[in-house]
Amino acid sequence: MRGFGRSGSLRHSRLQFVLAVAAIGAAVALPVVLISVGGGVSAHELANLQNAGYQIVVSASGLHGISDAHALSDRILSLASVTAASPVLSIAIDAVAPDGTLSPVLAEGVIPGEFLPTLGPSESGLFPHPLPLGDPADTVHYADGRYNGPATYDVLVSTPYASADHLSVGDRLLLSPSTNVSLGTEYNVTGVFGVPPAILGPTGAFAILLPLSDLQVMTGFAGGSSATVADAADTIQVAVTGAVADDPSALSGVRSAVQNLVPYYSVSSLSQEAQQLQSASAVLTGFYLALSSVGLTVGLLFLALVLLRRVEANRRSIGIRRALGLPGRSIAAGIAAEGLGISLAGALAGLLGGYLLVESLARWATAAVQEAAQLAVFDPLILAELVAGVAGLSLLASALATRAALRLEISEALR
Amino acid sequence: MSATPSPVIELVHASRTYLGGSAEEVRALREIDLRIAAGEFVSVEGPSGCGKTTLLNLIGLLDSPTSGDVRWDRRPVGTLSDRERARLRLTGVGFIFQRFYLLPTLTARENVELPMRALGVGRAERTRRASALLAEVGLSGRERAFPHQLSGGEEQRVAVARALANRPGVLLADEPTGELDTGHTRAILDLIERVRAARDATLLVVTHNPEVAARARRHLTMRDGAVVHDVSGA
Repeated sequence: MRGFGRSGSLRHSRLQFVLAVAAIGAAVALPVVLISVGGGVSAHELANLQNAGYQIVVSASGLHGISDAHALSDRILSLASVTAASPVLSIAIDAVAPDGTLSPVLAEGVIPGEFLPTLGPSESGLFPHPLPLGDPADTVHYADGRYNGPATYDVLVSTPYASADHLSVGDRLLLSPSTNVSLGTEYNVTGVFGVPPAILGPTGAFAILLPLSDLQVMTGFAGGSSATVADAADTIQVAVTGAVADDPSALSGVRSAVQNLVPYYSVSSLSQEAQQLQSASAVLTGFYLALSSVGLTVGLLFLALVLLRRVEANRRSIGIRRALGLPGRSIAAGIAAEGLGISLAGALAGLLGGYLLVESLARWATAAVQEAAQLAVFDPLILAELVAGVAGLSLLASALATRAALRLEISEALR
Repeated sequence: MSATPSPVIELVHASRTYLGGSAEEVRALREIDLRIAAGEFVSVEGPSGCGKTTLLNLIGLLDSPTSGDVRWDRRPVGTLSDRERARLRLTGVGFIFQRFYLLPTLTARENVELPMRALGVGRAERTRRASALLAEVGLSGRERAFPHQLSGGEEQRVAVARALANRPGVLLADEPTGELDTGHTRAILDLIERVRAARDATLLVVTHNPEVAARARRHLTMRDGAVVHDVSGA
C-alpha cells in the first residue's frame, strides 16, 4: 500500500508477504479442491438421476433383496400410467474368455423387454435395440413361477470388457458365480453395449448383461428350496408416462400406488433421491468449508501478525499521519487495504493452486481419483463466496492491527 | 478554505507524568500555568529534557495532561476524545518537526496535499494549493521529488508548506532549524515568520538556537518541567 510506509527491512517484509499469501493460499486451495471435485461428482450423479428413463425405484435392504420380482413387476406394470417395470439384479461374478482369461465382472440380470424403456436418452443409445437376449419377457426359462423352461444362454458384454478380453459376437463365455470355473455355464456373446464416459466405481466398465432368470439360477437367487428366496432382484425400476413424469403430484400418486403394492419395501422417486443428493451435497460443501476454515483461521492469524509487525515497523509513519490529524479511519483504511491486498493475493493463489491441483489429479492420479477429478465443477458463485469470505475475515485481521495503530502514543511514535 | 482563527491558548495547572524505564514516575511538566494570546510569537528555551517538547505536545494536542487542563479560547481541549483532538489538529494546528517527518513514499506535493486530503478538499483544489504553497517556500519545479531526492533545507521547506496546508491558527515548531546550516536556518526562519505574520497565526518555537529565539516577541525558559522565566519583548 502506497503511503502506509516502508518496512525496516524490505527483504523481511517481502518474506512476510509471501508467507502470508502462501498460508492463505493453502487454506483456500483445500476447499477449492474438495468443493469442486465433491460438487462435480454430486452434479454428475444428479444428472444421471435426472436423465434416467425411470422415475420410481423399489428397493429392499438386506442380502436377499426383493422376492417374486417377475410377478411383482407384472403387478406394478398393470398400474395406470406405468410404462415399464424392470427388475434388476446386480452381482459380481467371474467370467472366463475363450483364451482362458478370468476376469471379475459386474453381471446385471434384467428382463430384456422391460429394461430398455427404463434407460435414459444418454444410456439408451449405448445398447442394441432390441436387446439380443433371446426371450424379451424372460418367461420361457422362468414360467409359471418356476425355472424349468429352456434358458437362452445369451449374454451382452460391455465394450471395455470385450476390448480387454478380445471378445466378439459369437464367442463363448464361461460365467461362474465363483472362481471355481467347474461350476460355470457357457454363454453365447450376442452383442456388446457401451458404457458412459465417466462411470465411477471399480467394476463399472467390466460389465455383462443377461436375462434375469439366468443370473438368478446361476447365483442361487432363484427359487427351489425353502432356504433360498425365490425370484430375487435388487431393485425394480419403474418408468411412467411423460405426462406423469413431469407432474410431481401425479408422480407422487403413482409412487403411493406402488408403495401400496409393496408396503414392506422402500419405494422412492428419483426426484426425492435427487433432493436427498442435493441436501447431502450441501451438507458436504458446508463440511468442507468448515474444515477449511481451520486452515483459513491459521492463515488469517498469520496475516494479523504480519499486519501487526508492519504497524510496528511503520510506527513513525503512522505517528506522522496521526500528528497531522488524519482521522483514524484513514489509517484503518490503509491497513485494511494492505490486509485485503495480501488476503486477495492469497485467495487468488489458492484458487489457481486448487485448480491446478484438480487438473493434476485428473491427469496423473490413480484411476478412481482421476475419474472424480475429471468431473470437477468450478462453481463461480461458490468460489466468489469463498473469496468474499477471505476478504471479510481479512478485515477482522486488519482490525487488530488498526487497533494497535490507533493506540500508539503519537509522541512515542515520533521519537 | 478560510484560515482558522488563532485561539487563545491556556494551560491551567497542567502536569504530565510518564512512567520511566524502571517504573518510576518522570514528571515532564509540573503544574504549568500559561496563557498565550492569539497571534503571539513565542520561543521556548531550556536544556534538554526540561519539558519543552512535552509542552509543545500538550498545546498541539498530541498528548494529554495527566492533571490540569489545556484550553483553547477557554474551551478545555486536553481531555477531548482522540477523534476530536485529531480534528482540531487537522484544522487548527500546523506542526514543523526538527526531523521534518515527511512521508518517504509520497512526493513533495503529495506530502503537502495530505492534510487537505484528510479534510476532504477536492483533488484539483488540493493540487493547486499544494503547488502554490511549494512555490511560496521556493520549491517550484520540485513538486514531484520524493523526500530522499531533496536536500535537508528543501525537506524542511516542504514540511513548512505542509504545516500551512490547512491554514492553521497555531504553528508549532520543534527545533525547526536543528538540522540545517546557517544559510538554510535563516531562510526557513524568514519564511516561517513571513507566513505567520501574513496569517496572524500563533507561533510557538522550541529552540536551542539564539538566532531563532531572538526573533520571538516572548521568551519562555523552562527547567525541570516548569517555566522559570517568561519574558516579553524583543
